Amino acid sequence: MNGQSDKDITWVCHKCNQNLALKKVKVRYLEGNFEVELMKCTKCNMVYIGEDLALGKMLEVEKGLEDK
Amino acid sequence: MDLDKLLETGDKCIHTEPPICVASCPVHLDVIAFVSEIEKGDLKKAYKLMEKRIPFARLIGSICDHPCENGCSRKDAGGSIRISDLEKAVVQFGYQPQKKALELPKNKGQVAVIGAGLSGMTAAVDLTKKGYMVTLYEKSDRLGGRIWKYEGKGLEKGLIEEELQIIEKQGIKVNFNANIDHSGLKELENEVDAVYLGTGVWEEVLKIDSDTFQIEDTSVFAGGRLANKNDSIIASVNSGRRAAISIDRYISRVSLTASREREGVFETPLNYKVDKEPFIASIEKKNKYYSENEAIMEARRCMKCQCRDCINGCTHMQTFNISPNAYVRQINHNERIILGTHYANKMINSCTQCGLCKEACFLDISMKDVIHETRESMVEKGKMPLSAHDFALKDMKFSNSKKFSMVRKQPSKEASKDLFYYPVLSYSKYAKGLFRGSGKTGFLFYPGCQLSATHSEHIGEIYKYLVGTMKENYIEGDVGLYLGCCGAPADWAGRQDLMGENTQNIKKVWEENDQPTFILACSSCISIFEKYLPEIEVVSLWEIFDQYGLPQRNIKPGRRVLNIHDACATRHHSNVHKSIRNIVNSLSYKIVELDYTKDKTKCCGYGGLVYYANRDQATEFIKDRINESSEDLLVYCAMCKDLFVSGGKRTLHILDLIYGTNLDGLANKKMPTLSERHYNRTKLKMNLLNDIWGEKQGMDMMNHVDFNLIIPDDIMAIMEDRYILVEDIQQVIDHARKNDECFFNPEMNQYLARLRLENVTYWVQFEEKDKDVTVKSVYSHRMEIVEE
Repeated sequence: MNGQSDKDITWVCHKCNQNLALKKVKVRYLEGNFEVELMKCTKCNMVYIGEDLALGKMLEVEKGLEDK
Repeated sequence: MDLDKLLETGDKCIHTEPPICVASCPVHLDVIAFVSEIEKGDLKKAYKLMEKRIPFARLIGSICDHPCENGCSRKDAGGSIRISDLEKAVVQFGYQPQKKALELPKNKGQVAVIGAGLSGMTAAVDLTKKGYMVTLYEKSDRLGGRIWKYEGKGLEKGLIEEELQIIEKQGIKVNFNANIDHSGLKELENEVDAVYLGTGVWEEVLKIDSDTFQIEDTSVFAGGRLANKNDSIIASVNSGRRAAISIDRYISRVSLTASREREGVFETPLNYKVDKEPFIASIEKKNKYYSENEAIMEARRCMKCQCRDCINGCTHMQTFNISPNAYVRQINHNERIILGTHYANKMINSCTQCGLCKEACFLDISMKDVIHETRESMVEKGKMPLSAHDFALKDMKFSNSKKFSMVRKQPSKEASKDLFYYPVLSYSKYAKGLFRGSGKTGFLFYPGCQLSATHSEHIGEIYKYLVGTMKENYIEGDVGLYLGCCGAPADWAGRQDLMGENTQNIKKVWEENDQPTFILACSSCISIFEKYLPEIEVVSLWEIFDQYGLPQRNIKPGRRVLNIHDACATRHHSNVHKSIRNIVNSLSYKIVELDYTKDKTKCCGYGGLVYYANRDQATEFIKDRINESSEDLLVYCAMCKDLFVSGGKRTLHILDLIYGTNLDGLANKKMPTLSERHYNRTKLKMNLLNDIWGEKQGMDMMNHVDFNLIIPDDIMAIMEDRYILVEDIQQVIDHARKNDECFFNPEMNQYLARLRLENVTYWVQFEEKDKDVTVKSVYSHRMEIVEE
């Protein structure tokens, strides 16, 4: 589900003033549990999800799980 | 869900039943496919279809007595399709020599066929193909029997000789000049496994079974004129074919009769109606045969008879290209899946449950009920896709929360005494109504959630009208007000749990308020009350307008012509249809009825929550209905108006005619967004409490934040598409600002914040300038991210 591109890297965590780094993150929906690499703040752990990812691959997986 | 019952319902559907031409063709040529290939100009494929069903296709196709044409539905609309002439043309232009088929081992047994006429040759060829060693006994010195009578009368000698070579090519042994009589037959019976008798005449009377063609319980079978007692070419061929099936079963020792109901000519339940078909005369052939072009023209006249009565009116079934029987099979499959993808989910959630299919079906098959039951079952099993109805159910929850819902008795005399003085009492029916207050609630005005959002400015006025009117006519009964949602979204979504809860709440209000009659202004409410709260008496606002007269307003009489779109939820409420038309007529409009009207009305596309589960499907419904209408549409359901206006159609709600001032503006008026609907409902509640009940304290139910939210129009449109509300993003931004939880992009100088609300994570990208927060983009996902 890794759909993050270079342009996403321009975001920084406002509170921690940290650049984001690609890390393994747990995501879950209905019966599905996955681990995927996403950009996140290494200090406060806030995870970044871009629009392309949310409305692309992520939505596809959501729909897939809903029809399981 | 009772899947056996479901399948039974599906089996009732006659969509796949053959047309009368196929049913009356003894060998069941697939006439629709045959004609369709001709129509496409592919006469070779058409010939292949003949060959598949008709033995010695070039011969039989040229001399068949075509019982198929007798019952043709086109008969009374220009003349039966000339299937026989089409076959002849196909024999001429579409014939291709058969590729040599792989020879099967002939080890299933030995069969003697007596008589090399039509039926005998057919039986011989069919049995050879089934793997039997066949020997033909012919008393003359040539094959073909009475086929030779047609030499020069429809058949050329060369063609006959060529086609009869099939016998030799199949490796069938032929004994010519073999006159088999009774004793010869007895000898053969002992030598072979079965005998077929196709001699046309026989020395004694034979007892031939009309279904199996067996002679008593012997190994001898007979067909052709011995069995048919007529000269029909195709009946003769058919008897040979069916006897061959019996012989195969006889030798294989399986039941001769099982599952053979539809062999030969049978009666089809399909009764295709031609009353709407234009008259198209048969194409006359200029020469002996149709030319290819003439054949194509004649084929075009064929109506491809098939029962599509429900499909013709249903955008949903058309979109999914499905009939009830196939639909039911897909549901059955979907319901039985344990591990794997439920492919039919989207389809099941794309039915508006409007019930038109049942109206159109002479067998009363109701896909509305099937879908309803299916959705309930999906919910029960936890297999209903969460996102399909989530927004609508949250909207229902909102409408039944304090943000909108409320119940009030008619303002008491004590509280209204400020109004009881001259001249108010003399001109205001409302004041008079309050003055006559009895304290006992006889009526409860229940405008519903959607109308309260789209026409909120009129609800207070309507309430006052009702107090004035009802108290004038019913001394006892006061008029109360009840805001809320009837539960239609839960019903459509198959959520019996929520439905039950909602029904109980409404019932409680009813009981606590002297069991009043509900005055309803929404068609969905009417059908929900009827279904779940039959003990509550209801009357539609439109009936009250019709019966007691319209509000005393300066209503301008209309001159325009209107098409009335009846609401599907009240398709069986002729009293509602009548009242609406009476009101419209009384305002001097001219009504032109649509083809699909009253009990046959169509859905606008909102029903069944299709608008949320499959927006594209809803759009198709909207387009379909709009295309049907040439005039402005008149509706009496808030959502119908919303959807038609969104499709660019000038649409007036019945309240627009009564309370509206600028009808041209109203006909095109963009309906409130999803966010505005929430706002309007809350605002309505606040206004009513303030204006009518004088309740001011603690009534500010709006959300307040310390920034000024600016949402450009294009972003607002995206939010509508994605079911994201202003109040959602307000919370996201508020949370980000208060907790400093967001991302920042120094190049763009913009923020990006997220917040999970219930089961959805909302993301908002925004720009800040002093107190102004301008939204740049919004999106959401349901997947949960574990931040650890």
